[in-house]
Amino acid sequence: MVPVQPTGSSTSVPSAADTDLHRRLVYGDESALTEAYRIYGGLVRGVAARVTRSPVAAEDVAQEVFAQLWSRPYAFDARRGSLRTWLSLLAHRRAVDWVRGEARHRKHRHADDSALHAIPDAGPGPDETVVDRERALLLHTALAELPQPQREVVHLAYFAGRTYRQAAAELGIPEGTAKTRLRTALRTLAESLADPPDPALERGA
Amino acid sequence: MTDHDGVRDLLAAWAFGALPPAERRSVQPHLAECESCSAEAARLRETVRLLDGPPTNGTPAEPTADAHVLTRALRTRPAAPQVAPHAAPYAAAVAGLRALLPELEGNWGTPVVHDWDAHATLAHLLAADEHLAVRLGIGARVPASRIEEGTAWEDAWDRRTTDVIAHEHGRDPGATVADWSAQAADLLATPEARDSELASCATLLMGIRLPVADHFVVRAFETWIHTDDLGRALGLHVPPPPGEHLGQLVRLAVRILGLALGPTAPPVLFAITGGGEWVLGSEDEPVRAELVLDPVDFCLLVGGRYTPDAVPRGAAGDEDAVRNVLEQAAALAWL
Repeated sequence: MVPVQPTGSSTSVPSAADTDLHRRLVYGDESALTEAYRIYGGLVRGVAARVTRSPVAAEDVAQEVFAQLWSRPYAFDARRGSLRTWLSLLAHRRAVDWVRGEARHRKHRHADDSALHAIPDAGPGPDETVVDRERALLLHTALAELPQPQREVVHLAYFAGRTYRQAAAELGIPEGTAKTRLRTALRTLAESLADPPDPALERGA
Repeated sequence: MTDHDGVRDLLAAWAFGALPPAERRSVQPHLAECESCSAEAARLRETVRLLDGPPTNGTPAEPTADAHVLTRALRTRPAAPQVAPHAAPYAAAVAGLRALLPELEGNWGTPVVHDWDAHATLAHLLAADEHLAVRLGIGARVPASRIEEGTAWEDAWDRRTTDVIAHEHGRDPGATVADWSAQAADLLATPEARDSELASCATLLMGIRLPVADHFVVRAFETWIHTDDLGRALGLHVPPPPGEHLGQLVRLAVRILGLALGPTAPPVLFAITGGGEWVLGSEDEPVRAELVLDPVDFCLLVGGRYTPDAVPRGAAGDEDAVRNVLEQAAALAWL
């Protein structure tokens, strides 16, 4: 018999595993969230820990990210990208928001030692560490604001440990495009350091 | 491309540690002899180093942290309840619609289907589920309609939907949602939802005498189709039900289609991609045609979301026989 083309075919082909997992999430199957956590929990916590530099904060961010996946499953669309990149991007955005919030708290209560208890490993260190910490936040803020196509490649290459070729295959784009996006992204980040915008820590959350 | 251009191109991937080993080996020798590439490489590497941040000195996460994260995340939404297999598609469809409710906030006036907005679509589901609910001993939540004895079931259903929509439009959408949701929960808590044997007794609803179990499948069908309507109206993709549930919807729809076609229709070999093959129509004649549909497309056709002309199909043989099947399926006008 003649094969039929199912409804809803689109340009990028979603992975069967993502489609199945998302379907189970939408229809209220708890085991799907457990499975998503088993596969992507490490990545999400890793991204959050890299940005927040705090295991406690990373746990909070991971909880928020998986709560979002479970309680608002329609926010993810398997036809628009992989669950891996979606979760990684969300974890990063939430983690940057968390650090900005902490930075604001610290600024408002800079003389107040008790404020530092909220971030266990953020105690005053050598000057160099403090400067590096601020630069890291500046860079992660800039990263969170890159156009999504660039961010996706950076996330796969940097956080998920993919080569640019693997990232290209995963995103369904030519290898040359992945290379170019990484280059444009990293140059933008390097420039954000050379020419920092308004005091970065103050910028809108 | 010269060595220089080639390596220049790779530097960002190199700085991110995202080069395959062979390409990584090609970078180092060039950096040793090219000053501008070496400077660019140092700048990009430094940017990545800063992105890494200073080494963390926090305590590693507790081993129990994973369980905590999952437990707290799961608390944000109830899972579909455990019920007997015949009610599982409805339990899942209800969970799928509940998950869509937050996306409907502020969008209750969005046109959805027929002349209904999102609020009216929920009100319609409240009315449509009510028939089975009342049959299973659950009290109606909206004042009764005045429907005369002997009214045809389609007219009675339409009338009830119209009355309930009018009633609900006078209330807050949150109140309609709460009633729909509570009634669905009550249906799923009935003994008939949990016990296959109890659900095997037949009852007349929607003009068809079917086991209660099948009426649960019909509720799943309608809930999913309207969730899909709501998703389309909001520009959100609603995935079709899980494969096993979709199979239950398809098998019931095929049975009802077979009844509608009757025993004398020109026979058609009807297949669903991914599983299921039936001969529809007369059993006494050779098959006149073959028709194959995707399971979701078949459900959308039966649900009135495809016209017979538009539904994607594979077909061979007598075109009139195929058309007859497609038109009957669309005419079931289930919802």
